[in-house]
Amino acid sequence: MLLPPATKAQMLLGQCIPCIKQGASKFKIRRLELDTNLNMFFPKHEVVYAHDPEKICKTGDMVIIECLPQKLTRLITHKVKEVLYPLGDLTDPVTNKKIVSSKFREDIDDINRLYGENEGAFRYAKAPRRGWQENKKDFTHVDIRTKYHDDGRNDPTEV
Amino acid sequence: MSSFRYLRINSNIPLLANNLIDGVISRNYALKSDLKIKWVRPEKVPFYKPQNSGDLQSFPEINRKQFLLEFQNSKELQTADENVKKLFTLEFAPKKFTNKVFYKSMEQRVKRHEYDYSSIEVKLARWTGVIRAQQELIEKFPRNKWLKIALKELIDKRTKHLRYLRRWDYKKFEWLLETLDLVYKPLPTEPFQVTRKDSLQRLTGIYVDNIKSQRLEKYRLQLESEQPAFLEEKIRNLQYIRDEQKACGVEVTVTFEEIEQVKQKLEDLKAKNEKRSSELENE
Repeated sequence: MLLPPATKAQMLLGQCIPCIKQGASKFKIRRLELDTNLNMFFPKHEVVYAHDPEKICKTGDMVIIECLPQKLTRLITHKVKEVLYPLGDLTDPVTNKKIVSSKFREDIDDINRLYGENEGAFRYAKAPRRGWQENKKDFTHVDIRTKYHDDGRNDPTEV
Repeated sequence: MSSFRYLRINSNIPLLANNLIDGVISRNYALKSDLKIKWVRPEKVPFYKPQNSGDLQSFPEINRKQFLLEFQNSKELQTADENVKKLFTLEFAPKKFTNKVFYKSMEQRVKRHEYDYSSIEVKLARWTGVIRAQQELIEKFPRNKWLKIALKELIDKRTKHLRYLRRWDYKKFEWLLETLDLVYKPLPTEPFQVTRKDSLQRLTGIYVDNIKSQRLEKYRLQLESEQPAFLEEKIRNLQYIRDEQKACGVEVTVTFEEIEQVKQKLEDLKAKNEKRSSELENE
């Protein structure tokens, strides 16, 4: 059974994917499509561009995007409403505390304090905002391509 | 061949000139490009090389005059004979004891507390130490199968756990990349097998795009060079219309400000052109 296009919905939940466009972010919308032969649902992805002038969305974030009354450009049809789940920086919705996987950051810090913190250990309070390693050691914000031609240039986005 | 000749003579199908050689339809499926594009196949880099594994540092120089790791805090050794002391240094022990010292130093960099042996950062630091030691070894023994497999599996395991860490705790992930001097690159977004045909198609696309942008740039410069003459003409025409309207006693539609605006635009344009020409001369 064919799904109606995702762009017709007023609001969507999408995951941010790498995008080189200035002032816009790219989102992957995941929806389930029913296969009537097997009577099973299968995931189907659609790509949507949303207006994001300050680039608040980073790759992997789950974001609520809203339909624009009028298209900004041929591609940009939505705008970013709210970053719901920033990747790797989650907050427990019940207690409003920061979590790491299944543990509270507070609990981890308490345990470290009990044993005696190491000087070189990682501290959340001193850690800068996400993105300081972009283009240096972290290349998850760009599309990585396979190197097909050796022109003497050393492009870090090619493997 | 004869059937093609028959087709040529007896059919009304219009044929393109480039499909025709000596009155026979030539094949067009394996068309070779006339463009002089040189494609160089990228050299295959083994997986264990630092540029593929993401290590920005190699195994460092370690002071081999120091005691073995287990005996570094021994009080008896401090008061022992000089020869005995020498025997307990890294110089007189196999390489694996030097490696152990390196692993320990790597763990020490990221440990949460003194008794931390199992946190993700300590694990990653230890694996990084082992990888760097094995990378040094495999350069000497590239045909060691056991080592090759172990190293491949360990590099993949480290990448997998870095991927998990990124999802759980991005700040720690970035800090760890900096502390351990690693580069993290995800897998290519689109799988692409390097072939001559596909690569040449891509290179031809870039070549065509370059030609397009060069021609557009040339055309833009040509239009910009014509702009001052056009603006001078415009000023003259506006002035003429204004004068005529005044002389005929009809309503004056061309304002003085409008003419001044065009004059200002002309001056700006001239200044811009002069600046660009001086920049070109300096280059």
